[in-house]
Amino acid sequence: MEDCISTSALLTTDGVPLKQSLKKAERKNKLRAFLLVFPLLLFIIVTFVMPIGDMLFRSVDDSQINGVFPNTFNEYKKWDKEKDVLPPEEVYKALFEELAYGEKIQIGRALTRMNYSKSGWKSLIKTTSRQIKKAVKKDELPNNYKEFLISANEKWADPTFWYAMGQMVNNTTPIYYWNALDRTYDQDQNVVMQDEKRRIYIKTWIKTLKISVYVTIFCLILGFPVAHLLANLPLRYSNLLMIFVLLPFWTSLLVRTTAWIVMLQQNGVINGILVWLGILSDDGRLQLVYNETGTLIAMTQILLPFMILPLYSVMRVIPKSHMRAAQNLGAKPATAFWRVYLPQTIPGMSAGGLLVFVLAIGYFITPELVGGKDGKLIGHWIAYHLKTTLNWGLCAALGAILLGVMLIFYWLYNKIVGIDNIKLG
Amino acid sequence: MSKFLKAFLFVSLVFAPFAASAVTVASWGGAYTESQQKAYADTYSDPGSIVFENYNGGLGEVRAQVESGNVTWDLVDVLPSDAITGCDEGLFEDISSEIASMGVPGPDGESIAEDMEANGLNYHSGWDCCVPQIFWTYVVFYDPDAFPGEKPDSMADFFDVEKFPGKRGIHTWADGIIQKALVADGVAPNAVPTVFANQTGAIDRAFEVMDKIKDHVVFWSAGSQPLELVKSGEVVMAVAYNGRVGAANLAEGENFEYIWEGQVLDQEYLCLTTGSPNREAALDFMMHASSPESQAEQAKYITYGPMRASGIPIIEANEPWGPGGVDIMPHMPNTPERLKVSIVNDPQWWSDNGAEISERYSAWMGN
Repeated sequence: MEDCISTSALLTTDGVPLKQSLKKAERKNKLRAFLLVFPLLLFIIVTFVMPIGDMLFRSVDDSQINGVFPNTFNEYKKWDKEKDVLPPEEVYKALFEELAYGEKIQIGRALTRMNYSKSGWKSLIKTTSRQIKKAVKKDELPNNYKEFLISANEKWADPTFWYAMGQMVNNTTPIYYWNALDRTYDQDQNVVMQDEKRRIYIKTWIKTLKISVYVTIFCLILGFPVAHLLANLPLRYSNLLMIFVLLPFWTSLLVRTTAWIVMLQQNGVINGILVWLGILSDDGRLQLVYNETGTLIAMTQILLPFMILPLYSVMRVIPKSHMRAAQNLGAKPATAFWRVYLPQTIPGMSAGGLLVFVLAIGYFITPELVGGKDGKLIGHWIAYHLKTTLNWGLCAALGAILLGVMLIFYWLYNKIVGIDNIKLG
Repeated sequence: MSKFLKAFLFVSLVFAPFAASAVTVASWGGAYTESQQKAYADTYSDPGSIVFENYNGGLGEVRAQVESGNVTWDLVDVLPSDAITGCDEGLFEDISSEIASMGVPGPDGESIAEDMEANGLNYHSGWDCCVPQIFWTYVVFYDPDAFPGEKPDSMADFFDVEKFPGKRGIHTWADGIIQKALVADGVAPNAVPTVFANQTGAIDRAFEVMDKIKDHVVFWSAGSQPLELVKSGEVVMAVAYNGRVGAANLAEGENFEYIWEGQVLDQEYLCLTTGSPNREAALDFMMHASSPESQAEQAKYITYGPMRASGIPIIEANEPWGPGGVDIMPHMPNTPERLKVSIVNDPQWWSDNGAEISERYSAWMGN
């Protein structure tokens, strides 16, 4: 009998092995569960994974221009820069032909890209194109393409244009990342620092991080007492106070930013009061706006509710008896606060801190309006390249670095505080 | 299905084709778009078919629309460098033959291109896809009350903080101010674009001139800010869009003075997006908007000058042209004598060098 159980599988009433039947039922459930989450999954893929994937792809993609000048780039790679100052005749010939017979719009898009590698490409190719078209129309193909191009525009004899071309001869390129860090290629494709007068990105990155950290710290310092007060006052007072916190939160961002300009400018409210009180002389008015200080002040006020609200919702559920018990057991108020109360608010502080930091690092409108000469953050450059220069590769690289920085901070945070420790209420 | 829902579906099916046939024009908003509404749309044969939408300039959105094949803007109001890039990249459709055949001629039969050339402009590829609109300019202005004695009247004065102490308001991007700096250094305004294009070191020279006022500058980033800066006394002089200064003088009773010398004239175009869903209607509206009459009409509502030279005589002959019986010509940037002391921006050069210079300008501001 025992033998029988161990060797033959259990059967259901209709003769199918139990294991199989169970699996079938489970598969159905799994499928149903999957179908239930499928819309959400699809939503996340479409709105989150694909755009980020597209951005990461664009930050290294250089295939458009390679589709326009395939032969030129092929010949270019054979050029021995040690031996010849200028590329060989074949490169000029390939370029001539690809400009003469290429599709106008594709060439136009390639031009925009070429101009990122060196200013002046755009008009150089455009003026040359006109001459090439004329020659082709008259059926007067040159015998020497190099001479033809150089006589069409002397810049074709300038090797720096040809060196810049080296940036684009492959389908994928890390150049946008290097540009986003103030670096570029020299003639032999070595990474070198950008011309000193143009170095702005590293500075802006440091400033962005610095301001985000400061804003987070100031929000914590200012928000903690307010949240504590809100959580401990009787309900009728705390509701009133809560309105003071929420009212600015609901006010338009632009209105608040403009209000800060009125407050902070040299003939504004704050300077006016300080001069009236005799603290400042009339000539010694402080420059509080249109610089980094203005960005810091305005951003702190605007992001403050994002710190107060999670802190408040965490503090509200900390039983008051804990502090009393600690003091009952002999702790001084300061010790009780430090050892008993504060550790319990860490989930709120983390949530608020992370929220404020994440929002601050990508902030755009407020720094743009009050930042003036040196208070602009990296978002300014992303918007500039997205709209004005159309250098979406550089945009994507800047965005990817921003994403990377965020992930590093997230990882650090997880190491130090632990991500399970976060609480919004 | 409830009756309401059915009725709603029916109505939306019936009216959807009409709603879709409205021509959407993306423009800069504010008083500028209002003037376009009054001068172009309200005078059009079918005013209801034109819808304006605000955007912030640049080709980012246009490129996204064309690349995704989901074009919602039929016409876009752009700066000349964007007209050139957009046309080269195929974001705007090449309609040069339509412009030649359908464009409204001037009183003596001038074509659109001839009219623009008469205003001192040179052909660029933007002309193939776009029709002209207005001249706007970066002009220096001040409140005369801030200078009880001698008043500034040149670029040299703007860059001389010893002769005229006080702060200056300047925009946070490069194109207007670095050209003015050369004028302050003695270059004739008309020659500035050629000097930048042909002389090595011209950019360094401009930055050296700007260094002289660097510690006395308040930087602004939105068009309304320079007016606020001068009004509040934060600065004594500022660079601004002349339309904003004109509006303050005409509508708000201010008494600002212009320094026309070294003003940087720039162009503005209306372009047809590739794949525009209402191409024919949009084309028809473009031709109406670029007629000399429409362009002169626009000067009634905002003090930007017609890009077609034949628009100016219409204003001159009908003064007072402005609202409430005021003369408009004193506020127009492109009168013949003002053109003599103006810099006419070279969009081709800027689309070549703009990115590099703006990085350099930022580095200069931040140091």
